Amino acid sequence: MSFLTSLGQGVIFLTTILGYFKRLDFSVNEVFEQIWKVTKESALMTSTAGFFVGAIMTIQFTLQLNEFGALGYLGGLATSGTVREIGPLLIAFMLSGKIGAYTSAELGTMRVTEQIDALKCLGADPIRELVVPRFLAIILSSFFLLGFGLVMSILGGVFMARIFGGISPEEYFRYVPQFVHLGSIVLSFLKCLLFAIILATNCSFFGFYASGGALGVGRAVVKTAVITMVGIVIADWITSQIADVILRTVVQS
Amino acid sequence: MMKKFRIPESMKQIEFIAWQSLPVVLFCVAFAAVVTILESSFHMRMAIQNDSMVPGFAAMLILRELAVVVTALLVTSRAGAGMAAEISSMKITEQVEALKMLGIQPWSYIWLPRFIASVVSLVILTALANSFCLFSAFWVSNIYLGFSQGMFIGSLQRFIQFQDFLLSLAKGAVFGAIISTVSYYFGMNCKDGADGVGNSTTNSVVCSSLLIIIVDFALGYMFSFLY
Repeated sequence: MSFLTSLGQGVIFLTTILGYFKRLDFSVNEVFEQIWKVTKESALMTSTAGFFVGAIMTIQFTLQLNEFGALGYLGGLATSGTVREIGPLLIAFMLSGKIGAYTSAELGTMRVTEQIDALKCLGADPIRELVVPRFLAIILSSFFLLGFGLVMSILGGVFMARIFGGISPEEYFRYVPQFVHLGSIVLSFLKCLLFAIILATNCSFFGFYASGGALGVGRAVVKTAVITMVGIVIADWITSQIADVILRTVVQS
Repeated sequence: MMKKFRIPESMKQIEFIAWQSLPVVLFCVAFAAVVTILESSFHMRMAIQNDSMVPGFAAMLILRELAVVVTALLVTSRAGAGMAAEISSMKITEQVEALKMLGIQPWSYIWLPRFIASVVSLVILTALANSFCLFSAFWVSNIYLGFSQGMFIGSLQRFIQFQDFLLSLAKGAVFGAIISTVSYYFGMNCKDGADGVGNSTTNSVVCSSLLIIIVDFALGYMFSFLY
C-alpha cells in the first residue's frame, strides 16, 4: 500500500514540475548554472567508465566472434551494442550513483534543516527555485554525458581491438555505417531521456520530502538509488521491446 | 583467533547485504537479461541473417559480464551506501575513537566482519543472479523468440562451460572485497558534520562503481586467456 501511495505522490510531483515547464516559469540562469555543475562533476567519471566498458565489450565480442571466424564484424557489432544498449544504461547507472545521490542528499539536507520552510516563509516557491532547475539540468546534461560516454566507449573499443584482437581501426570502423543507423541513435537518445526523467523525478521527490534528521536523509539517498535503478531497468526493457516490435512490423511489411 | 572474526556480526551483515538486496537484485537482473537477449537477437539477425545462436551467445554474455556486474553495482548503491553512512556516523560521533581507547583496533572490529560478509554475500548473490538470469533468458527465448527448450539447452551446452560460472563467482568475490573496503575507507575519512556523512557516502558509491568497472575490465582481460 505504501508503495502505491508513494508512486501516486511521485506522479503528482512530476505533473507539478511539468506544469512549471508549461508556463515557462523558471529562471534560465539557474538552469545553466546547474547544467554546468552536473556536467563538470560527472564528465570525468562517465567517460572513464565508458572507456572501460567499451573495452570489456570488445574483449567479450572478440572471444565470441573468433569462434565463428567473423572477426570482421567486431567493430560494427560492438559499436551498435554500445550505442543501443550499454551506453545509455551505463550512463544512467553512473549518474544515479553520483548526481541522484548528490541531489537527493542536498535537497534532503535543506528539508531537514528547515531551509525549504524558510524559503516558503520568504514568499518564494521552493519547487520553482530549487527543484525545477535541478530537474531540467539533470535531463539536459545527461545528453552531454551520454555523448561523452559513447565517444569514449567507442575509443575504448578501438583501443582494445587493436591490442587484444589485432584489428586496425580502419577495419574496426568498416561495418559501423552498416550496423549503426539512425534508428539506433534515436533509440539511444530516447532511452537516455527516459532514464534521465526517472532519475530526476526520483531524486528530487525523495530529497524534497525527506524527514527525520540526518538518518532520514541517508534513507532518502538509498531509496533514491534503489528505486531509480529498478525504474531504469524496467524502462530499458520496455523501450527495447517496443523497438523490437516496431522493427519486426517494418521488416515484415 | 576465531574470536577476532566476530562470526555473529558477520552473519548480521550478510543478512543486511545479501538478504535485503535479494529482491531488488533478482528483479533488475532478470530484466537486464531479457534486454540482452532481445538486443543480441537483433544484432545476430542484422549481422548473419540468422539468430539460431542467440541463446548461447546471450547466455555467455550474461554469465561472464552482465549478471555479476549489475549485481555488484546494485549492491554498491544499496548496501555500500548503507555501510559508508553507518561507518561515517560512527566516526563523527566519536565511536571509533572510543574503540581505540578501549584498545580495540577499528579495522578488526568494523572492517573485518563487513569484508567477510560482503565477499560471502556477493558470491551468493552472483550465483543466484546467474541462475535467475539464465531462467529469464530461457523464458523469453521460449515465448517471444520461439526457441524450443531443447534448442536453448543445446545451444547453452555448446557455448558455456562450468568454468564460466566459477569465474563469475570469483569476480563476485573480488567486487565484494572492493565494496566493503572502499566504504570503510571513505567512512573512516569522513569530515565532521551531517554534510560530511552525505559527501563520504556519495564518494564511496562513485568510487566503488568506477573501481568495479575498471577491475571488471582487468579481470575480463586476464580470464580471456583461460577460455
